[in-house]
Amino acid sequence: MSVIVEKKFQVEIVYNGVTKPLQVESEERVTALLQRAIATFGITQNQHLLSLFRQDGTLVPENQSIEQAGLKPGDVLLLRPNAVKGGGEPLRLAKSIVGSTFRTLSECGRGECECVTYWTGPTEQDLVDRLEHPVHKRSPFGYEIEDSWLTEFWKQLAQAKRSVKAQLHTHPGQAFHSATDDQWPIVSQVGFVSIVIPDFAAGEPSLDRAWIGRLEADGKWRRLPSVSEAVTVQ
Amino acid sequence: MSALDELNRTILLCRDHVSDELSDAEIRRHFQSLRILCISDRRNLSSHSGQTALVTFVSLLSRMGMQVALKIPEAPIISPQPPLSGSSSLRDALVTSSETLVTGATVHIDSAFDPDLIFALGDTDIGYASPPCWRLSGEAWSGSLAANGIAKAQGWNTDWPVGAMVSAAMAASEAFKFVIRQLRLRHPADQIFFEVSRLCSWSFGSLPVPDQDLDLGEIDIVSAGAISQAALYALLRLPGVRMNGRIFDDDLTVASNLNRNMLTAKSDVGRAKVQVVAQRCRSKFMLEPIAGRYIGESVEIGKLAHRVLVGVDDIPSRWKVQRLAPGWIAVSGTSHFNVSSSAHSLGEPCSGCLHPVDDPGVNPIPTVSFVSFWAGLVMSVRLLREALSRPYSRNHQHLWLTPLRMDSLHAAMWSPVPAVRDCPVQCSASRSNLAA
Repeated sequence: MSVIVEKKFQVEIVYNGVTKPLQVESEERVTALLQRAIATFGITQNQHLLSLFRQDGTLVPENQSIEQAGLKPGDVLLLRPNAVKGGGEPLRLAKSIVGSTFRTLSECGRGECECVTYWTGPTEQDLVDRLEHPVHKRSPFGYEIEDSWLTEFWKQLAQAKRSVKAQLHTHPGQAFHSATDDQWPIVSQVGFVSIVIPDFAAGEPSLDRAWIGRLEADGKWRRLPSVSEAVTVQ
Repeated sequence: MSALDELNRTILLCRDHVSDELSDAEIRRHFQSLRILCISDRRNLSSHSGQTALVTFVSLLSRMGMQVALKIPEAPIISPQPPLSGSSSLRDALVTSSETLVTGATVHIDSAFDPDLIFALGDTDIGYASPPCWRLSGEAWSGSLAANGIAKAQGWNTDWPVGAMVSAAMAASEAFKFVIRQLRLRHPADQIFFEVSRLCSWSFGSLPVPDQDLDLGEIDIVSAGAISQAALYALLRLPGVRMNGRIFDDDLTVASNLNRNMLTAKSDVGRAKVQVVAQRCRSKFMLEPIAGRYIGESVEIGKLAHRVLVGVDDIPSRWKVQRLAPGWIAVSGTSHFNVSSSAHSLGEPCSGCLHPVDDPGVNPIPTVSFVSFWAGLVMSVRLLREALSRPYSRNHQHLWLTPLRMDSLHAAMWSPVPAVRDCPVQCSASRSNLAA
């Protein structure tokens, strides 16, 4: 027996309690349906957080076609955020950590090479209580962490129930997040903080001139408007 | 401290749809200029549920900055109605609450009041042909709201006030939508979210009302913010219900909390939220205020209780509680006009499965009184059902509720919580899923 799958059919999208029908085609990607649903309801805020959910609570996978996702005529899909109202908490750190970070970066880079450090702390807390200076190769244009050091570092963190809270590295001139920085953070988890310090960390140990960003759910880095949104110095 | 400070989260929520051409001050003025008349006869105020419906409704309106006039008889307060205090007369206590919740939000007796909207309790005779009028009705576990004349009115006569709070929350939503309909929207099509609900109802299910005192036991409450306060506001009003436990929060009360923190008054600004809540609950619940964020087990804190209510915004904090909870937890949150509420027993897909992604946004959260109130009310009912050994089924583990158009078919969507492989808590259900 063969099953006839309709090529074009209608599903219902629910947003803010209101239901609207949308025509779909079985070859269409779910991500296209999602975008049409967002447009149909005229949603302009936090679009990146929205997903479609079936009535059994499961997420409709965006990387599949309508057919692969198993959507059927008349399905009711809830358009809602995949994360409900989060609130990224600033990292808490001792003032001395900022000073020692700048000292480490400037002494290692000697005003001519980039350098990198990591802030770590207990996994269950937003606390930064230690600075790590990795074994790395350096140049005026970048740095490269030694693999064996990194392997050992991850092991030690896991054993001690600690995690990397932020990555800090220097740039020769202005602070900005380069394409390489975007692509290769040490941690690619939503909420991870990256800080870029200008002028090879010369001058006053202050984060005021730094580029500070946080990794968003859509995989993009968002620059934070102020230091206080990322860090509370105690 | 000004009404603009106090209402800024409500105004922020309006910004989802209201034209950018309107200033915050203009939006505030629209809320503050709305005049609502609440009417009840003596019979509808002679039950605890009728009194709770009125007090809750007036509080939700005041927290939106609106002007309220009362046309009600003198009636003694049957059971405490915190944060109202200072009088044994319901009418006096409500009038005394004038401007204590939000600056400029008055509650008064005024026979010459010219209302924009009227809300009547139960089957009270209204005596007005216009303006628009709704009736708040309900039973122990269910509430309804109906435009006058379209449904048979039912008087309030039960002591169990869950349905009363449901009807109050639905009525507050109509007042909110009335204001929004006066404002220019960014997209005219958005009007659909704010259309009048002429008839709507909500039931938490057909449960027997406890016929004897109900001890909820030891409860830990993580956060003393809007959702926890709404849950406690509801629990405090349930006859014969007892509990004790702890409440964790490191926040101080600020002006922008007043639009939704149901146990908080203007005079509490600057005080630790946990102190405010513990004080307001003292007549009935013994809650130990812990003025710090819940950071996990420690010598001082020890283990979490077997029942935990989680009203905290921060998603990683929810994961932390879920990892360490030895028993049942309920989690409620809001997202703009929506409420998310779930409960998780050991072995079931956890709150990490439901919210596997953190939204590390740092912007102020847009909220309004009745949305946060629903989130807390649903959580309180989940706790009651758990204590009564009548928890919702797995198909009702999660509720997504949009209390704007409660007349629409999909205002509420119940669903199971599926276990997910990338559960950040790595709960047993997610590990089983992984193994399978």
